[in-house]
Order: sequence, then structure tokens, then C-alpha cells
Amino acid sequence: MLRRLEALALQVRRAVSGQMGGERRSRRRGQSVEFADFRNYTPGDDFRLIDWNAYARLDRFMLRLFVAEEELPLSLFLDLSGSMDWGRPNKADTARRLAGAVAYVALAALDRVRLTVFAEGPTSGGAPYRGRRAATELFARLQSFPTGGATNYEKLVWPIGRQRPGMSVLITDGLGEPGVDAALAAMQRAQQEGAVLQLLAPQELTPDWSGDARLRDAETGIEREFTATPLTQRAYLNALEQRTEGIERAAHRRGLRFARLSTDQPIDEMVQLTLRHIGLLA
Amino acid sequence: MTVLAPAAAVLGLTLPVIVALYFLKIRRPTRIVPALHLWPNQIRDRQANVPWQRLRPSWLLFLQLLAAAVLVAAAVQPVLPAGAALARHSIVLIDTSASMQATDVTPSRLAEAKRQANGLIDQLGPQDRMTIITVGPSPRIVAAVTGDRDALHRALNDVTANNGPADLSASLSLAAGLVRAGDDARAYLFSDGIVQPLRASFATGLPYPVDYHRIGVSGENVGLTSLTVRSSAQTRAAYLHVQNFGQQPRSVSLEWRADNRLLDVRPLTLAAGQSQDLVFPVPGDATSVTAHFSGSDVFALDDAATAVAKTPRAFRVLLVTPGNVFLEQALRLRTDLQVDVVAPAAYKPSAAYAMSLFDRFAPASLPDGPLVMIDPPIGSQLAGGSPVGIGRVRAADAGDPLLANVDLQDVHVARSQDLRVSSFGRPLISSLQTPLLLVRDEPFRQALFGFDLHESDLPLRIAFPILVQNLSEWMLPPSVPSHSFHPDEPVTIVPESGATSVNVSRPDGSRRALAGAAIATFGDTDLTGLYTVEQTVAGSIQRSWFSVNLFSDPISQLKPLDRLTLPPTRTTAVQATHPGQLEIWPWIALAALGIVTAEWLAFHRGL
Repeated sequence: MLRRLEALALQVRRAVSGQMGGERRSRRRGQSVEFADFRNYTPGDDFRLIDWNAYARLDRFMLRLFVAEEELPLSLFLDLSGSMDWGRPNKADTARRLAGAVAYVALAALDRVRLTVFAEGPTSGGAPYRGRRAATELFARLQSFPTGGATNYEKLVWPIGRQRPGMSVLITDGLGEPGVDAALAAMQRAQQEGAVLQLLAPQELTPDWSGDARLRDAETGIEREFTATPLTQRAYLNALEQRTEGIERAAHRRGLRFARLSTDQPIDEMVQLTLRHIGLLA
Repeated sequence: MTVLAPAAAVLGLTLPVIVALYFLKIRRPTRIVPALHLWPNQIRDRQANVPWQRLRPSWLLFLQLLAAAVLVAAAVQPVLPAGAALARHSIVLIDTSASMQATDVTPSRLAEAKRQANGLIDQLGPQDRMTIITVGPSPRIVAAVTGDRDALHRALNDVTANNGPADLSASLSLAAGLVRAGDDARAYLFSDGIVQPLRASFATGLPYPVDYHRIGVSGENVGLTSLTVRSSAQTRAAYLHVQNFGQQPRSVSLEWRADNRLLDVRPLTLAAGQSQDLVFPVPGDATSVTAHFSGSDVFALDDAATAVAKTPRAFRVLLVTPGNVFLEQALRLRTDLQVDVVAPAAYKPSAAYAMSLFDRFAPASLPDGPLVMIDPPIGSQLAGGSPVGIGRVRAADAGDPLLANVDLQDVHVARSQDLRVSSFGRPLISSLQTPLLLVRDEPFRQALFGFDLHESDLPLRIAFPILVQNLSEWMLPPSVPSHSFHPDEPVTIVPESGATSVNVSRPDGSRRALAGAAIATFGDTDLTGLYTVEQTVAGSIQRSWFSVNLFSDPISQLKPLDRLTLPPTRTTAVQATHPGQLEIWPWIALAALGIVTAEWLAFHRGL
């Protein structure tokens, strides 16, 4: 699977500017094989870049400028709230694996990956990761975060705002209150391309129970007596559909991609089909 | 309003039980959901297993309480007072005669009568009893003194109309037999009033009053009331009588058929009350002829008439006489007799004759068979004593069928042999001095006149051919009478000599087998039309026919009577009639079913 992931790359719509060289076309001129322009030499420039052929013809020092190929800063925001610790297969487990897969695609392309997990608040996943060798550390780090707590998307606004322009991927079930719109607005302000990946369990998409129950919220612990009937099932599915459509509309409005994923999909299928389909990977 | 089952009100305890069940609480399993806010605020108790909880307003609770209350209301069987005044024992006399088939009320008079009688059954109280008797050619009890309303409904609905007259007297007598002295009984007659005249035996009155419920509205009817086939030396013709009994002129199209072959169609217009006689030719080979008219008519039974066209098989009769034109002519009036007249000197005994008549002559030995001996010579085998002068002539028994329509008032006899000591048989005509005519059944049907017909004015009276006709038909009844009978009128069938089987095919194709070689009375003549009698004689089948037609002016008149003269009531019982009761619990139960359905819908709609 890792070999198949290495064949992929994050797809950005515009050039990026990173701190280190990479495989991404940068807006800055730098070192690469792709010629960009000439300019006059000024003291202090790297004399290795002087075009001696031009000096021979023009009798002055000219510097050859090349397109700089830089890294892509990828920020992964992973929801590990209480609602994600639910379903068969478990949403949090699936989210960790999906985040790892996307991160590996970036690491394989020498992109820089920054990991942030969140529930009631954001938790940094440590220093940015770069290169394939960092993948193992990142995977271990993903597994180390516990799940639990209520989702608070508004607490993501500050860490998102600190991001350099680049790509952000938010993996969540999108069920927290208030909604995810504030975080998406922050992504837009921070010039983030990227995607919102809504991850739900099959039991959420098709409730497999009926009758009387005492419902307990996985995040808040609030309980309510309830009687499931065909009518209430329809009402629940309508509410879930409206929630999903709201997230999708907000994402598109902010220039972000959106995909709804079910945890019973294999990770390989999510990456190879769904994420390529929405244009996140190529 | 009263209730028939007040004890059922105890079922009302189910209402507080239902409310109590709503106080119980459900033990609900805990389910963790990712987002509680996505689930609607829906709660309903399906199965309570933990006490207690606060009673919440609920449509289901309301509907269940309402359904239980309505079911309890149905269980106590509330009744409303109904229109009819009922006695403890109600006797329903329902007319099933031919006229009740009229369709002037939809769908028919009988159906309307049954509908009204069914309404009476519905009003019976728990202590009431009812008897249902049909009024037809013969009365029939279809339900006897029962309070089982289902059985009464079933019995009434099984009642069908017949083609015969309504013998109300017999039905009233039958009903009277079911009423004991002191019974609180009342009869309800559902009829159009077209019944046979009441017999005089009701002069003392009935032990119950009779309420007459008129059925029917119209007497508009055109009917065929007579059809006969007459033969002459040259031709045979059918004489048909058709009459418009209504108050409106009617136009009909009359079809004339022989053995179902259409021979003629005649349009016919009859003014109100007008009748018309029509003559139709009858083909020589025809077995039967049928007249039928089409057109809208409320009474179909008299729209067709059938007559037998085949000449019946003739009997050979021997008349030995020195000369008696009166007797000869009287015998020849009967078309199925072939009369051979011989002088006494030419007489030779013969077994070929079915009947022998000896006028002033006595053979040496009497033939075995029907015989009429007139004034036998003195000294002969059957001769009486010395002649005596005769005064007044009278019937020995005025009710004897052999003297039917025989008027002896102006009959005189000059003298007669003295038959007082004769052991021949019973006297039929007598005088103060001596019996004049003796008849006997054994060993054969035979008659003995003690006087010479020429010494009497009897042959000059109309009574004479009638008497000869009566005697000859008594001695030689036609094997199968070919004239028309009324519905349900019994038909006497005398099998041919040597007949091994006798079967009768009815107009609907059904067959009835009669015992062979014995005179039989066939009573299944309820259908109108042509009946075929098949007799197997020496391996061959001989067929003969007779017809059954309504041919009844009183029935065809069809107009229902507003008032019916009924016998007086002589009951001594207190007529404690009470209003009928109309049970309304089926409607309440229906409403409960609707409420339960609404509750079911409400449950599934999540109310």
C-alpha cells in the first residue's frame, strides 16, 4: 500500500512557497533545472549562478534564474473527539489511518507535514515531519493521541491562522456543535488549499436499531429517552443529510474540497478513488 | 334508550387500567450516539415494566381511552325504541304466492316483504319470540317460536316465491295452532292482499290480531289468461285470451310458437282494462303451442302460456243398445273416446274395449272392466225388482264428485226397477221409492241405472252429458290429462297397461320418476310450462304431455289491496304490545373499529 501511495502526490492549484527545497513549483526563483529568467549580478549574489556565456557575449555579469522547487506545507487537522470513538469500524481508528495515508503521500513527495489533533482544543503533533523516514514517527504519534471530549471547531481558528499558505486537510465527522464553518473560514484567510474529509460510520448512515432506548451523547454524556420508529429514523437521516450538505456547501464556499467517507471503505479505496476523485491527490 | 346487557358495564374498568399502564415506565437500554442533537425529540412508551412515571398527554392515550369507552358502550348493547308495536310472540305471515313475484317495487314484492320483516326481526327484544309462516298454496313454518334473530334472518332470507295462489286461511289456521290460550300474540301479514277467499271456519275469530302490511304499488299488467286448442274435422286452432289489467293502454308484441318454432308475431294494443280473444292456427304435427309477449311488464308469470296440441290417445268404447241417440252423443263429446255402437243381437264379447255400456241388454257374462248397465232386462244378472213409480229425484250425496255440476232439480223419472235390495254398490242418484243409479269401485268401476233413459227427461237436461262425462272420466281417466293445470295443482297420471316405468320431465329439464303400473298423483307442478310424461311400455317409450299455466284473473289483476278483510280477533289475552327495539351496538362497534384504526395509524405515524 505504501508503494501505491508513493505514486501519488498532493495536488495544489497554485504554486507554493516553503522553507525548504522540495518538489513543488515555488513562486520564488531558486535552484532547479527549469530556467526562469536573467538578471544583473549584484555583489553578494552566488557567483555560481553567473552565466559565463552571457558574460562572453554581453561583457557583463548576468545571473541565470531558475524556478525554485520547494516543499508543500501540509497541515493535517485530525478530529479525535468523543464522537469519533464510535462505530464499527471505529471512526477514530479509521481517521488515524486515513491521516497517516495522506501524510505519507506528502512525506514521499518531500512535503512538510504538520499534524494537529483536536477535540475540545487543538494539540500539536510536534515538529513538522519531512521525508519518508519521518513517516514511522508520524504514524506512532498518530496512535499516541487519546480520544474523547467534545468537539470545538472554533478552537482551531488560532492554529490554522498560524499556517503559512499551503494545504490543510481536516478529517472529522462534522457533528460537533457549533459547526465547522469557523474553522473553514480560518483556512480561507490563511490561504489554505485543501479538503474537508467527513468520516462517518455505517451505523450512522443507516441506523441498525429500533425501539425504546436511552440515548447518550458520546461527547457530552447527556442522556435522553427515545423511541425509534420509522418516522424518527427518517427525521434523523434528514438531519444528518442536512448537516453533511451544510459542511459541503461551506467547504466549497471557502475553496476547499469535500468528501464524505464511510469507515467501512478500505483506506486504499478512500485514497485511490475518493481523494483522487475530488482532486486532493493526483 | 335502554341497555340489554348492563352487566357488561363492568368492562369500563379497563379505562383506569389503560391510564394506569401509562403511569408505568419503560426500562430503556442505553445507546451511545455520536450526536444526540441529530435525533428528534421522540419518546413513547411501548412496553412498561418499571413503575412509575409522570403521565404525559398523548394522542394514543386519548384514542385508546376513547376506543375502550366505545367498546364498553357496544358491549352493554344499547337499544333505541323502534316504530313497530310488538307482542311477546310475533307471527310473521309472509306471502310467497305468485303475485309476490311482481316487480312494481324494486327488486320484487317478496324481497320488499322480506326487507320489512327483517326490520321487524331487528326490533325484537330479548324476551320476544317470533314465528315465520309462509302464505302460499300450502302454509309452511320456516321458523317456530324462537328469539334467535340470526336464525330468523336466515329462515326469512331462504324464503322463495312460488307460482301458486295464497291460501291465507290455511296459514291463519296454522298460526292459530301455535298460539296458546292467554298468549300475547300478534300476527304481521306482509302481502299484496291477493289471496284466496277466506274460509268460513274463521267465524269465531282468531286468537291473535293481524296487522296487514301492504306490499306493492301498481296493478299495471298485461296477462294471458287462457289458451286452449280445439280440433274440428278440418282444422285445429288455438284460442288465446289476453287482457290488460292495468289503467294505462299497453302495446305488446305477441309471439306464437309451435314446438319452439316461431310461427307468427302480432303487435297488440290494449286499452285500459281491455281484453281480446285471438285465434291462431295449430300445425298438424305440433306437440305444443306457446304464446309469449315481450315488453316491459312487472309480472312475467302470465306473459307466456303453453297448451298441448297433440290429440290424446283414444279409448275404444262399446255401446250395445237397440238405439239411444242421447247416450251416443253424450259419449262422443269426449274426444278421446272411440265409440262403437252395436245392436244387442250383434254383440260379441271382446277384450278390445276399455269400457262397455249395455242399454236395455245384458250379456250372458259381464266383461271384466269398466261397465255401465242401463235398465237391465228383468231376470238378468244385475236386474232389480219389479218396476216402481218414481216421484222426486235427488242426489244420494250432493258432495260426491261424480255429481259435480250435475243439476237434478228438473229431472223426472217415470219408473225404475227396484234397486233397494241390490247389492251392486252405493247409490248415486236416488228417490223416495228406490235408488236410481248405483256405482261401485270393486271389482271394477261400474254403474247401474235402474231406469230406461227414454222413460226419463234426464237426457233432455244439461245434467245428462255432464253425468256421462263424470262417469266416463271416473271409469276411464285419461292416461295423462292434456288440459292445462294451475301451478301446484296435483295431476293424476294413470300408467298405460304394462308400463314398467313412468318419468315426468319438468319445464326446467328436471325429471321425476313415478312408481310404474300404479295410478300416481304428481304434485311437482310448481313451474309453469310444458311437462312431458314418458312411459316405457314393452320396451318402447310413449310420450304424453300436460301444461301448467297461471291462468288466474285474480292474480293477474295484480293490484295490491289497501285493505284486507281479516277475521275478527277473539283473544282474551291482554295485548301488552311494547315498542320494538332497535339495537345500535353494531354501529357503535363499527365506530370503535374506526377509532382503533385511527389509533393504529397514529401509532405508526409517531403521534
